[in-house]
Amino acid sequence: MPEINILQILFNSIVTGSLYILVALGLTMTYTLTKFPNFAHAEFITIGAYIVYAVTEQLGLGIIPGILMAFIVSGFVGVGSFLLVYRPLERRKSTMVQLMVSSIGVGIVIRYLIQQIWGGQDLRFKTLEFSAFNVGPIRMTMLWVIIIVTGILLVVIIHLLLTQTKIGKAMRATAANPGLAQSCGIDIDKITAIVWFIGAALAGVGGFFKAADTKLVPVLGWSVLLPAFAVIVLGGIGSFYGMIAGAYIIGLAENFSIIPLLSLGLSTDYKTAVGFIVIILILIFSPSGLAGIDWGGIFKRKKHRGES
Amino acid sequence: MAFPIGYLLDTLVFAGIFGILSLSLNIEFGHTGLPNFGKVAFFMIGAYTSALITLSGKPFIAGITGAMIVSGICGVLISLPAIRLREDYLAITTLAFGEILRLILKNEEWIAGGVLGLKGIPEALSLKGVQATLYGHVVVVYISLAIFFIFLRFLEKSPYGRLLKAIREDELAAQSFGKNTVFYKAQSFAIGSAVAGAAGSLYAQYLSYIGPDLFMPIVTFTVWAMLIIGGIGNYKGAILGSFIYIGFERGARIMKDYLHLPVDPNNLMFIIFGLLLIVVLLFRPEGVLKEEKVKLL
Repeated sequence: MPEINILQILFNSIVTGSLYILVALGLTMTYTLTKFPNFAHAEFITIGAYIVYAVTEQLGLGIIPGILMAFIVSGFVGVGSFLLVYRPLERRKSTMVQLMVSSIGVGIVIRYLIQQIWGGQDLRFKTLEFSAFNVGPIRMTMLWVIIIVTGILLVVIIHLLLTQTKIGKAMRATAANPGLAQSCGIDIDKITAIVWFIGAALAGVGGFFKAADTKLVPVLGWSVLLPAFAVIVLGGIGSFYGMIAGAYIIGLAENFSIIPLLSLGLSTDYKTAVGFIVIILILIFSPSGLAGIDWGGIFKRKKHRGES
Repeated sequence: MAFPIGYLLDTLVFAGIFGILSLSLNIEFGHTGLPNFGKVAFFMIGAYTSALITLSGKPFIAGITGAMIVSGICGVLISLPAIRLREDYLAITTLAFGEILRLILKNEEWIAGGVLGLKGIPEALSLKGVQATLYGHVVVVYISLAIFFIFLRFLEKSPYGRLLKAIREDELAAQSFGKNTVFYKAQSFAIGSAVAGAAGSLYAQYLSYIGPDLFMPIVTFTVWAMLIIGGIGNYKGAILGSFIYIGFERGARIMKDYLHLPVDPNNLMFIIFGLLLIVVLLFRPEGVLKEEKVKLL
């Protein structure tokens, strides 16, 4: 059994968690606003990674334009699928299951478009060299540092957006009560479209990070989608701060599960199952996630009840 | 093997097996309103159970029966905690269940060969010659399809079937008539899972090889697409949906061999299929064949 480096596992957990923040943010926001789990989110993740590949590897334009392009293209794919498919279905009073199945259709179309353009084989980012270095006992690469910084920056930016800006407040109002928001003069169609854009765009950037860390395949998004569902379910669907907590908890749980798995002699492949088990347990026992648990009751303390 | 007839028979077998899967989703979702997005899990349980039974030397009938029993029981076990959930939560839970199961079968070699899967699964009817064997497969698959179709249609027309539809339409109303709706939903889930298990068993004996990579979530999604396109709540539609999908898939393979298009026909077909699914949802949400009205006095 290899020696276990707790600090290394902790660091890896933060990398995983930060990546999940990028990917899960759009999923939880669109789930709240359009009221269905969007399975095509997996393809928003994948397309971003392929766009970075096209710009940096095929066109040789460097990494910054690549990520910018991925942000824009994924964003437009997201808002496009909302305007062309989900919104018309919503207007026709489709059920939630119909919306879910339509997102499968959207996903199939995007995935096979990707396969048509780039082929189904494994691709790797060859021009991007992320040198590894040691900080104390922790081994890290520049990519991991960038992922963590991006994750934290994103949390700060979205927090400021939601609390300080007019558009952020409009987003919160639309999520909380669309009818009331509309009667206050908020253009909820525009707000919803913006949310779809941002959510898909960030998922695309997250997809690139995931692909740069592993490899680029058309099913890339699928390997991240179920953990992302675990993150948002754990945090309580629609809750931004819950999602952040969920992302790091799932990150920690996945990476630390290696210790019991190794000591039991089981494959470390099972670490991906951690998220799936979390989904099932949370949905069955506390469907509104961490936010739904009566923490005050658990600690037997008088709970200060604010607006929830 | 003569190309056209062998190809046609192979297509028929696939359409039949997926038709059975589509039927099984129809009783769960079409009639009871339970969105099972873990369909592939029960298909997989059936395939592995049947393969393990027949590989140990028992006849196929024991394999398919075992597959149905084990899948049905797993369906009940999953449904007990999950069935009270809201439909989107039920969908995500069943999806996660399928992935956990696939991971276990992939990593635990002692259960069923791990990544390599199981090889040399005996056929239901062992006949001499490739052609005769293929005909045998068609017969076995279509007899099964007919049995399940007739059984489920019978169920649909019975008071029991009307009760399931009542739960789908208005669970509270069904409850207020004194029906234990959770109990009936679990039964519907069990029947659907058992039928999916039978489809898995037929799949295993036809391919003679199964491995964890055959049971990705995309299988569940294709079954959903079949049912939505064919017609939710209509058993004929469920089978028609399977034929439409398999027709698309095979059409693409034939085009790949005979036409030289600038795009890969396989990709093109899937893109068209995805678009078809969206168009059906937008413009004909009830599917090609509408659900039949319940006959009243």
